[in-house]
Amino acid sequence: MAEPLERECEVFGRYLCGAPPGDYVRAQYLAAHAAGAVEPAGGATRFERTVVALARSGPVAARALDAHARVFANGSLLRRKLVLMLALLEVRAPHAEAIDTPTGSSTLAMFAALVWLGLRFAFTVFVTALALLPVRLYCALGAGNEGRIGGAE
Amino acid sequence: MKHVVVVGSGASGVHFAQSALERGWRVTLVDVGRTAPAPVLPDASFARLRHEHDDPAGYFLGRSFEGALFPGNKGEYYGFPPHKGYIFAPLEKLAVRSRGFDPLLSFARGGLGEAWTGGSFPFTAGEMVDFPFEHGEFAPYYGKVAERIGISGAVDDLAPYLPGHAHLAPGLRLDEHSEALLASYERSKTRLNRDLKCFVGRSRSAVRGDDRGERKGCTYLGRCLWSCPREALYTPSITLRELQRHERFTYVPDHFATRVEADGANRVRRLHAEHVATGAKRAFDSERIVFAAGTLASSKLFLDSLRAHGGVAPTLSGLMDNRQVLVPFVNLAMLRKRVELDSYQYHQLALGLARSDARHYVHGLITTLKSALIHPIVQSVPFDLRSALWVFRNAHAALGLVNVNFHDERRGECSLALEVAADGSSKLLVHYEPSRDEPARMKAALGDVKRALRMLGCVAPPGMTHVRPMGASVHYAGALPMRRESAPLTTSPAGESRDLAGLFFVDGSTFPFLPAKNLTFSLMANAARIADAAF
Repeated sequence: MAEPLERECEVFGRYLCGAPPGDYVRAQYLAAHAAGAVEPAGGATRFERTVVALARSGPVAARALDAHARVFANGSLLRRKLVLMLALLEVRAPHAEAIDTPTGSSTLAMFAALVWLGLRFAFTVFVTALALLPVRLYCALGAGNEGRIGGAE
Repeated sequence: MKHVVVVGSGASGVHFAQSALERGWRVTLVDVGRTAPAPVLPDASFARLRHEHDDPAGYFLGRSFEGALFPGNKGEYYGFPPHKGYIFAPLEKLAVRSRGFDPLLSFARGGLGEAWTGGSFPFTAGEMVDFPFEHGEFAPYYGKVAERIGISGAVDDLAPYLPGHAHLAPGLRLDEHSEALLASYERSKTRLNRDLKCFVGRSRSAVRGDDRGERKGCTYLGRCLWSCPREALYTPSITLRELQRHERFTYVPDHFATRVEADGANRVRRLHAEHVATGAKRAFDSERIVFAAGTLASSKLFLDSLRAHGGVAPTLSGLMDNRQVLVPFVNLAMLRKRVELDSYQYHQLALGLARSDARHYVHGLITTLKSALIHPIVQSVPFDLRSALWVFRNAHAALGLVNVNFHDERRGECSLALEVAADGSSKLLVHYEPSRDEPARMKAALGDVKRALRMLGCVAPPGMTHVRPMGASVHYAGALPMRRESAPLTTSPAGESRDLAGLFFVDGSTFPFLPAKNLTFSLMANAARIADAAF
């Protein structure tokens, strides 16, 4: 049970700050799950759990699925896990400094980068929405429902 | 010896007690009195805590991760520090049911004042026209309280709306962002003053810049929200600790006041209380009893007392609270700068919108974002979290928030009453309805605030303005207004009940009007005034 969570922690840490999260953050990430702090009220749907499992495969997938969740399911299990990871990273040095230091580019470059981020975000949301359609269908039909499943992983 | 029993150790209670002691009274203070955890690494800054604390997640997020704010957190931008949870922890004995109002109560030593941001804004004469005494009679008490607790600020363009008073110490060092905003105001103030009747100046804060007694001056640790470990930021528990050293002061913690007992002439004789843990009953005899438990708790205590005395508990109308609206902004001149974590964390500037009726003045607290947990804000950026972090790290030093406060006035539809169960227990019913003109007033004022921000070189991102629910500001007042003329369910100008002689209210219950300002400073001043006027 702990292994997928540890893998998930590693991937989400790398996705958010580009580095492994370390032992302390990993222990806290597991503790938060054990305490039931992450589950959405009423439990997560089968689709949400599938999305988390896909996001676990690597930082690129995590980012794409995070973009999708930001638009279509902001309070979903994946977003909650990622926000927890961010909260853990920001209270622990040296991650805190790493995620909160300006990039140092010029203002013009910053606005150009912002436009690029926006375009990439929109494209990613579009592609993942299409790619997840079969998954959504499978979860809805294959599982017989989109019902919420409570309890820890 | 003259003896008074006080209920509640919040800002009003401790300042009343201090003044009563100064006037030679013996004071017994009855309180639930939950205590704060000991400060952690008191000399470490916010940034150092993340290096030096053994368990930073436990400190910042809580053992149950209750300080982690997940998506859908009702739009609040700051999480409340877990170790301050004791301040708002409910007490089963005081049950509340509310409609249109999110009530907050405290049973902590120091009460709700343990969680304030130190905003100390005196009322003007224009804002006090509904009060049954002259502003000149009240104003000296601001100086008296300022001497006790230490208030820093300046007499500047906001002076017509924030009058000066004695013992106002110079303002703290401004953080870079606040300094930039003030400089921007100086450049555009002619237009701001003329076109919008908007004025900007230094905020007034109950923070000491110098050491005095056990309190140490502010060294900009950036830990204000997490409870200043140096006690530079004033909280009422500091005064309570000082009072406990006085030989005529008796502190009775762990007791919940249930009612006062009055004689046939409607004169109070006794306060009844119960031990919080054991339920053991205890009575405190006195002909002078002072309620300082906060408007909601004091009103319930009063209604329970009337019910016990006469069998009937009436409805108290006129409950007030300040509507607050949070307007986040980005100061374009501060983009890409490194955030200054070693700063005073709360509002260093204030903004005022003058209105033709002085009572309708709109007050804004300008807080620049420095040391704070960032995950609640990052998640609200409309990108994936990695991109949102990139945006945030370049914008962190440029972010700020105007907390816009609106006045409130007593209206019949806002009320407090009792719901009595078959077993005789009671519940406080809180009912609040916003005034009909509130949407129009808010729209006009928020439009002016956003225009003012633009003139200061800032942008208020669309869709991020957050109207806080009623009750969130915790500026409750008005259930038993002070009146010159005698009438049931009112109090005299000295805060004495017209229904039960010898019972005094020194908290916000008696305010007949609520200006658009944090009222804590005025509560303390009023409590000291009542002690002088009637004791």
